[in-house]
Amino acid sequence: MTDAPITFATAVPQAAAGAAEPSRVKLAARNLAFHYGDFTALKDISFDVPENKVTALIGPSGCGKSTLLRIFNRIYSIYPGQRATGEVLLDGENVLDPKYPLNRLRSKIGMVFQKPVPFPMSIFDNIAYGIGHYEKLSKADMADRVEEALRQAALWDEVKDKLKQSALGLSGGQQQRLCIARAVALKPQVILFDEPTSALDPIATGKIEQLFAELKQQFTILIVTHNMQQAARCSDFTAFMYLGELIEHGPTTTIFTKPTKQQTEDYITGRFG
Amino acid sequence: MTDHIVKSYDSELKRLDGEIQRMGQIAVAQLDAAIDVLQRRDSQAAMRVVANDDAIDALEHEVSHDVLRLLALRQPMARDLREVYAALRISADIERIGDYAANVAKRSMVLNQSAPVSAARGLPALAKLANTLVAEALEAYRLRDADKAMAVRGRDAELDAEYTGLFRELLTYMAEDPRQITACTHLLFIAKNIERIGDHATNIAENTWFLVHGEQPAGEREKRDTTAG
Repeated sequence: MTDAPITFATAVPQAAAGAAEPSRVKLAARNLAFHYGDFTALKDISFDVPENKVTALIGPSGCGKSTLLRIFNRIYSIYPGQRATGEVLLDGENVLDPKYPLNRLRSKIGMVFQKPVPFPMSIFDNIAYGIGHYEKLSKADMADRVEEALRQAALWDEVKDKLKQSALGLSGGQQQRLCIARAVALKPQVILFDEPTSALDPIATGKIEQLFAELKQQFTILIVTHNMQQAARCSDFTAFMYLGELIEHGPTTTIFTKPTKQQTEDYITGRFG
Repeated sequence: MTDHIVKSYDSELKRLDGEIQRMGQIAVAQLDAAIDVLQRRDSQAAMRVVANDDAIDALEHEVSHDVLRLLALRQPMARDLREVYAALRISADIERIGDYAANVAKRSMVLNQSAPVSAARGLPALAKLANTLVAEALEAYRLRDADKAMAVRGRDAELDAEYTGLFRELLTYMAEDPRQITACTHLLFIAKNIERIGDHATNIAENTWFLVHGEQPAGEREKRDTTAG
């Protein structure tokens, strides 16, 4: 026994009190609007996507969340009659400016879709194909890059012995992680996910959700999901959209425990009429 | 608030609310009965009060079970989540209030073995105030009325002050006549139990505020229990 007086900690450290540290803005929408011909799908959307965080876009079908995601890497531009106004700033640069090279944009902002679409080629080539577009690598360097990407997508251990086999033989969950590996292989800065787990079972979904937590260390992540519990489980920030408008955007904990807008409350508590 | 798309969700939340209301009504009646048997020196009736506490405990189990079910199967969010959370917290407070009421009844049986003590006269007023606070806190919860809840929280200081007065009075009796120490000690415990009931009423009020606003009420509440220095 020592004679040292017993002391009690009386103050809760700031970090433990849940104070979110300020994060740099990686991607920002400024007065963004979107039109399909005469139809206005998005109205005056402005919000920030913080760097190295997971931001989830939620809202009922047709609210414009996927449309918003598709603007961020200008996928819409391949369709006639679709046009966006306003700005999308990536590190302060407007990527909607036609002078911003599309190739450069796509290398910085990757995308993963709802349905995994592996190319009809080997697992290895699925990853190497995209890299070859941007960089000329030696065989050994390419092998390293493919391995790195597959490891980042938590797929390496499952496929390392069958890299030459067709990617079409993988399970749905594995195919989706292959698509994620394909996206991260290009070393983008932002990855967009459009309903990435809606075609997967809960185990495969869990693996993808765990991946978000790992990938956000390196990338900025934006997910569209209509699974609210998924947004609650794996995002840091949540934006709620309805009828083409951004209704509320804030820390996920706030949105799911104490939203400020009635429409958000009604939607997340299942009261939408 | 509009109904849920899934109707059975609404009926489950309603059922939870009903269980808490019933628990609260029994707890308030139990405290009234405990003070009544104390005044009438009726040990038979006191035993019934002690036995009745089981009804509150059983309801608390039902609340816990329903809360667990709601959390697991409905995954409540936002206001719904706060409803379920508040129900769990408030049921625990009511359960404690029931325990204290039963304790008062139990000690009254011991008191009945010795001569009546005049100091016991201050207790009914203390208990009446405590029970008023509990009833008002439960009413604020029933109406989901945060302002009403805050008014209850403000009144706990009155109870503390009355308790402190009674505490000093009992000390004086004990100092004057050591033969009364046993009885007065039991009365002191009873008074303390009643004072604690007021604290649980305050908790119910604070959880009601949280349920409505999603944050803890601001500011320290006033305390006038100065018996611990």
